[in-house]
Amino acid sequence: MDNLETLIQEYLQREAQAKTRRHFIKNCASGLGGLALSSIFMGCDPLSTQKKKAKITFSERDLNPLATLAPPLSPKVKSVIYLHMAGAPSQLEMFDYKPVLQKLHGKDCPQSLLEGRKFAFIKGTPKLLGPQAEFKQEGESGNWVSNFLPHFKKVVDEVAFVKAVHTDQFNHGPAQLFMHTGSARLGRPSIGAWATYGLGSENQNLPGFVVLTSGGNTPDAGKSVWGSGFLPSVYQGVQCRSKGDPVLYIEDPDGISRNLKKSTIDAINKINKEEYAKYADPEILARINQYEMAYRMQIAVPEVMNINNEPENIKQMYGVEPGKESFANNCLLARKLVEDGVRFVQLFDWGWDTHGNIREGSIDLGLRNKCREIDRPITALILDLKQRGLLDETLIVWGGEFGRTPMQENRGNKKMAYLGRDHHGDAFTMWMAGGGIKKGASHGQTDEIGFSGVEGQVSVHDIHATILHLLGFNHEEFTFDFQGRPFRLTDVEGEIIKDILA
Amino acid sequence: MDVLKQLLGRLHPLFVHLPIGFIILGLLIKWYDRKKNAHTDLLPLIFLWAGYSAVLACITGYAQYIGEGYAFETVKIHLWVGIATAVFSFIMYAKLKELKAVAFLSKVSITVLSVVSFILISFTGHEGGTITHGEDYLIEPLPNSVKSALGFETYEEKDIVLTDENWQEAQLYEDVIKPILNNKCISCHNPKKSKGGLLLHSEEAILKGGENGPVITANKASESELFTRMKLPKEDDNHMPPEGKSQPSKEEITLIGAWIDAGHPFDKSIGELNLKKNLFLPFIPKKAANNYPDIEITAASADSIKAIEKTGVHVDLISKSSNFLTVSCINKPAFTNADFDALLPIKSQIAVLDLGGTKITDAIVEKLPMLTNLTVLKLDNTQITGENIEKLDGLAHLKSLNVTYTNFAKEHLTKLANFKKLEKVYVYNTPINATDSTFLKGSDIHIDYGNYQLPQIAADTIVY
Repeated sequence: MDNLETLIQEYLQREAQAKTRRHFIKNCASGLGGLALSSIFMGCDPLSTQKKKAKITFSERDLNPLATLAPPLSPKVKSVIYLHMAGAPSQLEMFDYKPVLQKLHGKDCPQSLLEGRKFAFIKGTPKLLGPQAEFKQEGESGNWVSNFLPHFKKVVDEVAFVKAVHTDQFNHGPAQLFMHTGSARLGRPSIGAWATYGLGSENQNLPGFVVLTSGGNTPDAGKSVWGSGFLPSVYQGVQCRSKGDPVLYIEDPDGISRNLKKSTIDAINKINKEEYAKYADPEILARINQYEMAYRMQIAVPEVMNINNEPENIKQMYGVEPGKESFANNCLLARKLVEDGVRFVQLFDWGWDTHGNIREGSIDLGLRNKCREIDRPITALILDLKQRGLLDETLIVWGGEFGRTPMQENRGNKKMAYLGRDHHGDAFTMWMAGGGIKKGASHGQTDEIGFSGVEGQVSVHDIHATILHLLGFNHEEFTFDFQGRPFRLTDVEGEIIKDILA
Repeated sequence: MDVLKQLLGRLHPLFVHLPIGFIILGLLIKWYDRKKNAHTDLLPLIFLWAGYSAVLACITGYAQYIGEGYAFETVKIHLWVGIATAVFSFIMYAKLKELKAVAFLSKVSITVLSVVSFILISFTGHEGGTITHGEDYLIEPLPNSVKSALGFETYEEKDIVLTDENWQEAQLYEDVIKPILNNKCISCHNPKKSKGGLLLHSEEAILKGGENGPVITANKASESELFTRMKLPKEDDNHMPPEGKSQPSKEEITLIGAWIDAGHPFDKSIGELNLKKNLFLPFIPKKAANNYPDIEITAASADSIKAIEKTGVHVDLISKSSNFLTVSCINKPAFTNADFDALLPIKSQIAVLDLGGTKITDAIVEKLPMLTNLTVLKLDNTQITGENIEKLDGLAHLKSLNVTYTNFAKEHLTKLANFKKLEKVYVYNTPINATDSTFLKGSDIHIDYGNYQLPQIAADTIVY
């Protein structure tokens, strides 16, 4: 009851504030100036003989910010599942086979590669570290896959590798931001925010951009990697959990029935509608809509986030562990979400930072465990989407924020406890699969030891341009006006990687 | 004094516009006033001002000619016509004032003088423009068709046209390299405007090179300026084409390099040179693989779309570049056969129809043939069994059919063999399984039976 009284009091106070002369003069001095100015400008309008009464009209978008919009160009995919291995997986143990590096194992790294370079931890002259995995050419495409990924090799012909991606960041936070927002500094919208802003989302009961994390930690860059930046906040990613409530506080509190909740929301919306009639602020309409969406989500989200109802063979295929937070659960959820019309699903799996300082972070042991954790789920995800006819209209992107050095890390110029590799942004591997992607393609090459790209080098902006292209956007024309200029996800760069497009 | 000369000179572009303005103004007023003669006092005054400002323009113009080091040959015509314009302005003044000094002009009508005056000022202005902007500054922006009609030599902007079938027969220089040079380089490197002394319009010119010598080192693109200059970062001062000009794509630059590496032949085909296909792939147009037919269609009325959306069915343009629609019942699982009739106002625009998870039954196949442009059809998670599915064989564009999670019966699958455009059928979780592969033998239709398995392997449980 106390709460209700506070609410009423607050309401009365707001009303009073909106009415008193003192408040008006105190807070609106500049507003008055503006008002006066606008009337002067109107007075200067030579073409209008009488002042038109401003008519407020709203597009469907104002009322429902997630209403779908058609992309400007013909899209190849409807949805995106982005699998990010936070911490940066080693391309040299997974996809980028370097037999020469094997031969040079244990030799000093040539000075020419070290001069003028700064690494996160490597000091002095490190030794070269040969690949710790065995490689084989797999599938009809003959692309290389290591024995760390025994399941993935079965779907190698579905994916297109990009083997010489480069970034200019060598620390996790900025590199992750760069990979997801196109800028290493805070404040830009993430790819998923851009996609939902540009396309909306089909299912009116679910958010358009869902984020799932695993590996026991969220990405180093924090929630900004799925933030909305300067776009309206409704486009930011909604983080769901595969353990406990899928969205925090989604369950009604004890003693509150669904009916009571409905009446509460109806009452709030009634007030909001009156408020809107008075002030005609479109934000109020958006708010009304958000309340209603939240109400619908209370039913729809727990339903879609429940993997227990999936058939046993599907659960086994993904290797899910219901009730736990796991990458496998998240992969299955990603399929369910895309199936239900969610536009962008972002998975982060933490724990790929293999420096060799601890057992979990070793290139031969820890990395192999991480590979096992993703190998079956990713393969299952591709096959499951395929058999449902969804792979044609979904894009899967896999990658980390950078790659790892061909040299063994020697933190503090000492031999480390385990084998490890330092951060390295010059060349690393990513892959894409799904609609519009050339199956079995491989674009770009690194030098003999995998230090830098020698052919088909691709920047992070190029990756973004390609993702936007597949969603039906020209990345150079997809902009949002902010602080006096149009902003793009790809800033002033980016070229579509045509070689991996079907 | 030099400073004054230069400063005066640089004011020339400013002052020249004064006589232009005055003379045009005078002529306009003269014409406007031709009947009433109400401004006879004003008119001479305007031409007097025109004369004074023209003199000022001549002085500053001369200062600029001296100060900026132009050759007399270049400015000759402009200089003399400029002076003539100034003199003529005073003559106009005198004529309008009917001064005795110009009595010899008494027989010449003021109209003739006006026309001369107009011609003089226009010609002077044009000559000035030619000096600052180059000789073809008015011709250059014209479309090629107009240029050649006017008798100017043009370098046609021509596209590289290669196809999957003929790419090897294409001439590397004529069909690939020349169009790149024509589109991206030749506007500055042609006989009229040879920047850096380099011409790129013909074989001889390319071989000759520019003022710094040849631009091609045989078989070595990395030592050939024609290639390396393009390869430089755009910010580099030596990058070609210069900033602001239309830039060749990465793929085009690579081709120039490949051509030089192959010994820059002018009369060999791609096949003869044994070049890799992926060099040319970006220039071989891909067949559009869209989810809608390759035809133009009128847009569906916004009102009928709105009316359908009100019922909870989702309707959207596939893209803003086409009028075809995608329709989905994702928000309306209660959709029944009867609800289908609501879609009829947009029946020819529907290219993608998702009826997955709805309450439709086999009877829907009676109605679906009305959607003549249907390309993708999803009937998954419904009660359909495939009964009468043959009625859809008239859908001339149907590419993809999804009947996963239904009771689609084996015996109906064979009927799909008559579907002309059908490429993919998804039958996962139906009574059909992969061992029934006798279906659709010899047809191009790809059936995805699904039911993929990932058996347990030892590596699944080994923890390192």
